Amino acid sequence: MELPGHDPDAALLVAFGNGDLSAARLLTARLGPRVLGFATRMLKGDRAEAEDVTQEAMVRLWKQAPEWQQGQARVSTWLFRVTSNLCLDRLRKTGRSVGLDETAEPEDDRPGALDGIAEAERQAALTEALARLPDRQRQAVVLRHIEGMANPLIAEIMDISTEAVESLTARGKRALAADLAPRREELGYD
Amino acid sequence: MTERKNDDTALEALFAEARRESAPLPDDLFARIMADAESRLPAAPAASPRRQSRLAALGAMLGGWPSMAGLATATLAGVWIGVAQPSGLSDLGLWSGDGVQAGYELGDMMPGYDSLTGEG
Repeated sequence: MELPGHDPDAALLVAFGNGDLSAARLLTARLGPRVLGFATRMLKGDRAEAEDVTQEAMVRLWKQAPEWQQGQARVSTWLFRVTSNLCLDRLRKTGRSVGLDETAEPEDDRPGALDGIAEAERQAALTEALARLPDRQRQAVVLRHIEGMANPLIAEIMDISTEAVESLTARGKRALAADLAPRREELGYD
Repeated sequence: MTERKNDDTALEALFAEARRESAPLPDDLFARIMADAESRLPAAPAASPRRQSRLAALGAMLGGWPSMAGLATATLAGVWIGVAQPSGLSDLGLWSGDGVQAGYELGDMMPGYDSLTGEG
């Protein structure tokens, strides 16, 4: 059980900062998959780019290790913030960013109705629907509902107020539900 | 209203599936991340000095082995003087309590005024 206020990732990062390579292996195994999953959703399903972002975020973590102060922030919070920023930068640079005032058009070539499609396809549908959300809504919804983070942590990662997080997740969920509603039967949830 | 509830339920189910979907990192990505970590591995801090024995610590505190050698010599000399009691010392009568009491008063140790009273 994890003690409140205790961050085992911080202990590992400090161990790495003291020259312990095995601590880096443990940190990568603990945080890497979550970072990759988050980056993949933020980058609208682009797995190759998400892997690059994950590697870059971890490099930044290794660089940070010698100066890491225990108690300054949770390592996972810091890493998700870095990953978020890297993803948003890439979306902006490649013109794929969707601002809060915009909404991406649903693609016309959606698969036809299928009876009880497989889980992988349902997840693909979710990733597609998330990709159509404005970047900040997508970021908030993924952190809240898929990463399972509490609103104050998300506020720290996104550098906004907790109220703004609540607003973004509520709007994001409404938009997702509306987007997926026509496919409810197809997705096997009717 | 019911439809909205159904949408929410469907969405929650999708989120729950997504939360369960936590595959380990692909091997090649894991290897790349570890190669980065190795190239940025900070040097381990120098090993802490070997724990000293109390005697060694005391020796170091007193100035190292040259001081300790001098101290040992002085100690041995003291012991030797005490045991052998050189004849010169016994003549002074300092080692006999009676001798000290009987032979010397405090005034005996003070400088005399004889040199001041003499003519000159």
